Amino acid sequence: MEGLLYSLLFTLIKVLIVFLTALGVGAYLTWFERKLAGHIQNRLGPTVVGPFGLLQPIADAIKLATKETVIPRGADKPVYYMAIIMALVPSILLLAVIPWGPSFMVNGKYIEPIIADVNIALLLAFALGSLSVYGTIFSGWASNSKYAFIGSLRKAAVVIAYEVVLGFSVLGVILLAGTLSTVGIVEAQIQKGVWFIFYQPVAFILYLYCMLAESGRVPFDIQEAEAELVTGYNVEYGGMKFGAFPLAEWYINVIALSAIAVVLFFGGWDGPKILGPLSPYFWFVAKTFALVFFTIWLHWTLPRFQAKDITEIAWKILLPIAILNVIITAVVVYIV
Amino acid sequence: MEWVIFVVLGTWLILSALGTVFVKSPIHVILFFLSTLLAMAAIFLALGAELLAGIQLIIYAVAIVVFYVLVITTIPWEKIKRFEGIYKSELMVASPILFILFLLMSYMVIKGKFAQPVGLVKDNVKDLGKELFTSYLFPFEVASVILLVAMIGAILLGKKEE
Repeated sequence: MEGLLYSLLFTLIKVLIVFLTALGVGAYLTWFERKLAGHIQNRLGPTVVGPFGLLQPIADAIKLATKETVIPRGADKPVYYMAIIMALVPSILLLAVIPWGPSFMVNGKYIEPIIADVNIALLLAFALGSLSVYGTIFSGWASNSKYAFIGSLRKAAVVIAYEVVLGFSVLGVILLAGTLSTVGIVEAQIQKGVWFIFYQPVAFILYLYCMLAESGRVPFDIQEAEAELVTGYNVEYGGMKFGAFPLAEWYINVIALSAIAVVLFFGGWDGPKILGPLSPYFWFVAKTFALVFFTIWLHWTLPRFQAKDITEIAWKILLPIAILNVIITAVVVYIV
Repeated sequence: MEWVIFVVLGTWLILSALGTVFVKSPIHVILFFLSTLLAMAAIFLALGAELLAGIQLIIYAVAIVVFYVLVITTIPWEKIKRFEGIYKSELMVASPILFILFLLMSYMVIKGKFAQPVGLVKDNVKDLGKELFTSYLFPFEVASVILLVAMIGAILLGKKEE
């Protein structure tokens, strides 16, 4: 009983750390994105609130939290509120299967810096990543607005297509590592001394496409499409309810999917020991941040695809490439 | 401890299944259905069948239900005439069959044998894959052919007439 209580308490502490960090980093990524977007477009970005505009996220949060709540007429209220939960919860749960570093010993007990080291971690990650689509779909439906609804239908079509490609694209990595556990995949890369991106460059490119599509980033952000749909599925939400959607989809989802990409293709916490015992964490966070940076960079430089093209790319181009990649990898792994 | 988890998950499962049947709005029905599937996945996870739980989530809760949602949300429900009341003749025909089915199932539960656990499985994914591709290869392949047939049929139905 004591062992159980101990592990429960310990898991709770890990959950709290990851949850609070993710929310904080998610909030500050808004500042980072606005700053970066500003410099890309030859502007300055936020400068007024605090030095370098560093207090801007806090000001935004206060503004959003104190706004009047307006619910559209004819909205389905329970579904309207539940959509927010359905968008936020899966994105945050995604963080549970990310290994932040190798296990270490404290007082003769092994501690793993991961909340749930299950041997289906990858399946779980993709399932949760796609479950957040219900937040988008039902928010659009429940707000009883045409713009919002068109946005959510587009998102549903995108997710159906890219879900399949995503599943097939990572099969190559799973074949190489021989496990679905995130910790196991990183350990396999360290053991072989090679990051899987060198063995599976095609899979990485496919994964990148799917990551952008699932998190609704440019060039796949047709569910928002500011120019035609205002902002799409969340147009009828106000205040902090409005803030929750981009936080979940654009920030936490992107962080989590980038972290999974680091686990799959960039050797997780692998890297030279430049900071002593802290270096694995440093490398993991640095690689994840590099991918997040890349995503935001794309967001502010590329135009967006048409809705028709997006699904066509997935079914007619990406899926055949992904299946071919799996078959070739399987044959090579079997022979070698 | 296991009992507490099972009771909580079981109650969740039964309540959402009842909701699926009794709630009127089609969107609420699909939400309850989603909740049923999630509860099912949670029960699998609690029983140690991790792979089944993962597949339940990724295939049922995401891939299949997204299609249902896509169809249900696009139907203009306020324009469709809905029958309010009880289907009397259908109920008369169905209830004896249901009763016999229930008796048969109770007989099976009382007299039959439950699947026995074969001991602790180390790697769910590996063992299931091995079983599927050795002992159950034929049924597995037949199932995939059936799916292929269904897919071709759907493409034929969906094609526009020339």
